[in-house]
Amino acid sequence: MKSNNGYYGQYGGSYIPEILYTSQQQILSAFEEAKNDPDFLQELHKQWKQFSGRPTPLTHCENLSRHLGGAQIYLKREDLNHSGAHKMNNVIGQGLLVKRMGKTRVIAETGAGQHGIATALVAARLGLECTIYMGKKDIARQYPNVFWMKQLGATVVSVNTGSQTLKDALDEALRDWSSSHETSHYLIGTACGCAPFPEMVSYFQSVIGKEVREQSQAQFDALPDKLYACVGGGSNAIGLFDNFIPDDKVEMIGVEAAGKGTSMGEHSIRLSNGLGSKGIAQGFSSIFLQDESGQLQDTHSIAAGLDYVGVSPIIAHLAETNRIRMTYATDDEVLQACSLLLTKEGIIPALESSHALAAAFRESKQLSNKTNIVINLSGRGDKDIFNVAKAFQDEEFVPFIQEYAEGFYQDSSLNLHKD
Amino acid sequence: MSQLEQFILDKQKSLSTISNPVLAMTHVVYGYPSVSKSIEWMEDLLTAGVELLEVQFPFSDPVADGPTIVNACHHALTSKITIEDCLTHLARLSSAFPNSKILFMSYLNPIFKFGIERFVQQASQANISGIIIPDLAIENAQEYQAACLNNKVEPIWLVTPNTPSGRLKMLTQQATGFIYCVSRTGVTGGEQQSSFSKLQNYLQEIQSYTNTPLAVGFGIKSKDQIDAISEHICVAIIGSALLQKYDELGPGQALIYVKKLFPHLA
Repeated sequence: MKSNNGYYGQYGGSYIPEILYTSQQQILSAFEEAKNDPDFLQELHKQWKQFSGRPTPLTHCENLSRHLGGAQIYLKREDLNHSGAHKMNNVIGQGLLVKRMGKTRVIAETGAGQHGIATALVAARLGLECTIYMGKKDIARQYPNVFWMKQLGATVVSVNTGSQTLKDALDEALRDWSSSHETSHYLIGTACGCAPFPEMVSYFQSVIGKEVREQSQAQFDALPDKLYACVGGGSNAIGLFDNFIPDDKVEMIGVEAAGKGTSMGEHSIRLSNGLGSKGIAQGFSSIFLQDESGQLQDTHSIAAGLDYVGVSPIIAHLAETNRIRMTYATDDEVLQACSLLLTKEGIIPALESSHALAAAFRESKQLSNKTNIVINLSGRGDKDIFNVAKAFQDEEFVPFIQEYAEGFYQDSSLNLHKD
Repeated sequence: MSQLEQFILDKQKSLSTISNPVLAMTHVVYGYPSVSKSIEWMEDLLTAGVELLEVQFPFSDPVADGPTIVNACHHALTSKITIEDCLTHLARLSSAFPNSKILFMSYLNPIFKFGIERFVQQASQANISGIIIPDLAIENAQEYQAACLNNKVEPIWLVTPNTPSGRLKMLTQQATGFIYCVSRTGVTGGEQQSSFSKLQNYLQEIQSYTNTPLAVGFGIKSKDQIDAISEHICVAIIGSALLQKYDELGPGQALIYVKKLFPHLA
């Protein structure tokens, strides 16, 4: 969505330390030039296709539609991107921009680790140095992603300050950028941060909605009636919604993480029930979870990629103007939805995306079987194996881990020693 | 000329026996390690005669600060602290120490939440001379600038070594009180230093645009560093280095450190 000088209604803007002014201006002009350069766009589409596997399919879930007895449910399969999530769309775009600006290093923040992985993959491919900031708590929840980032050659920095999650990783990435901006690009993973990041990330992610428009027409000869997406920072949501903003008949539903309850610290609901309020932090103005003194608060979700304290200014604006309807799903509902998709359709969804599933399943029962709804399956669930196993209390999982750990150093014939 | 600027020039004049005297601006995090201890520490510094006291009101996400100040802010926030109380304490200090000036520093969000105009008004009533908000660019600051003008508080603008010339000129010409010259790239504290010749060229460029006094901060920790640029600056700002001494050696030794950096206080 195009901004009005960096703003979306009353949200957005640029609130960054003066030291970053020059780098921000450079990104502004590089992005403007790049999106009007046919060569850049050709390369972008080539990489999307040949490296990430786009276009991703739109999958009709016939079993599930029948089981729930309501709307026809379609999934936009962003989980089938290389790296296993929609994050790749943006990282490929910004990665090409980094090359264009002549910078040699990228910095990124990551929550669940999906953006960190995508950044490390693209950095490896483009020959860029890569540093990933990740909250200590998120590292504990998503170590397999950290492992792969390291194998890809990235430096992963554990952020031990504040709440030790995504917001603190973002602060730390900004601090790094303040001292390294001459050679480094801050490759932000969601449609947040100072201008032009929200606009740029939504531009690269909007490929999702463009494909959905074409696929809907080809597969059910109409536009979707409803679109569902989970909302952490908001990049997969704006990616799906962007193309449909002018189509008033297409309802857009954003789903936040209700976690364990509505007390502060138990959830990540910023845009419903008056739980969030306007604030200016981390480079932009939006709705944040904060106390009456303007201190940002702790958040929770079973999905590390959704427990962000702020939200994209674009989503905040579209929610305020009622173009997006916001709802939420609890940790428990999310696990049920995840399980239902596994057993009915043979698809393993990320816990983040399972929030969108939960809200859509809940609402689809009341809809006619002529209604077509599209849910953004923003990522695959392989990364969540530990958390889901724990949530489902799988009895064999712990013995498996114990045995594996005991044998970890024993069979040295499989070890790959690096000098 | 603003009161703050006049104050700085008068203070410098009173030190005319020293060639190129540099005034002390010392930084304290309000509420660290506790509210009462932070006030005691401010009193120690003011009693020693520091000309300018910068008081940072903690914010949960201080993106322009390095680890020393970040940790202090997070520690301070484990107790309930409010801008109202902070201003009440500072009002008392400013009347007890009329020979020094107090500056208030925080990030935009706590001030925005309090209400920008209301904040500037109350800061003025507390006798705060200037306000520093590192994440508020001048382009976004109309309401703040108007409130400062109406309430006779100086908004202190930061400039950096990579601020483009045109912008540097614009910022320095709008600046009142003094100009906060960030000495190098990066966040507060740390080992990294700007090369002397680069810093000198940068300060000379700023001086070519304005007569407003210059204060230099970020990474300043030794008397040699201050001496090397003393002909260009009126004020040196000691933040992280001072907090580190305070953490490691306690207020007594930290005060001795301040007096070493600014011998006119001894």
